Amino acid sequence: MSERIYEILFIADPNLGEPEVDALAAQVQGFVEQAGGKLQKLEKWGKKRLAYSVRRHHEGSYVLLSVEGGGGLIKEVERRLKVTDGIIRFLTVRVDEELRKAERRKAQRALGEEKRKGRPHATTPTPHATTPHATEGVQQ
Amino acid sequence: MSSQGGGFGGGGGFGRPGGRSGGGAGAKGGAAGAKDGGKRYFFRRRKVCKFCADKIDYVDYKDVKLISQFVPERGKILPRRMFGTCAEHQRKLTEAIKRARQIALLPYAAD
Repeated sequence: MSERIYEILFIADPNLGEPEVDALAAQVQGFVEQAGGKLQKLEKWGKKRLAYSVRRHHEGSYVLLSVEGGGGLIKEVERRLKVTDGIIRFLTVRVDEELRKAERRKAQRALGEEKRKGRPHATTPTPHATTPHATEGVQQ
Repeated sequence: MSSQGGGFGGGGGFGRPGGRSGGGAGAKGGAAGAKDGGKRYFFRRRKVCKFCADKIDYVDYKDVKLISQFVPERGKILPRRMFGTCAEHQRKLTEAIKRARQIALLPYAAD
């Protein structure tokens, strides 16, 4: 419940073929599971152009993993990502708090809309209704 | 939204003489303003935060298509007056841009 959710996004060497990238992704997944994490999602974006050169490469294969686990997990996984050949760049981001906040805001907005709908006057859907709404300014 | 002539003045209309409120609605404002005192008033379109308008709660650093709308060619993060983003979303946008830069989705500086 209280476990955190992280996103691990890494760039694989562009010279690696499709199966090799798959193997690399599986390897990283192995890191996560060995460190006691749970994989939620694995997404391959394929080869993309890099915005700047990383280790003399101008493109790379992006792989995204969504992972559930504690802070110790990331420490271990990052250490192993650093020493893994074929990974030219990685980024880990904690996302659970921000996603939760976003979720709450969405719920709040839905609630607000519900309230507005509940009011009898605001229900008229026609844009050029004969009676102007009290809340909106009188338009010239 | 109410019409641009009245209310909050649509973000533009700086240094306006006090008495006249709502002088000419909308697009005609500039011409009407030119008459009194030779000073022209431009009614700039009120910029609305895109993230608020589209109801985007989480500004995702992976969504390059969205973020790159707010990053010029040069790769800089622009002040929020440029795009009219609200403070909250500008904060989130900045964070997203910085993350995207780290993973080479966006440039730190171009050319």
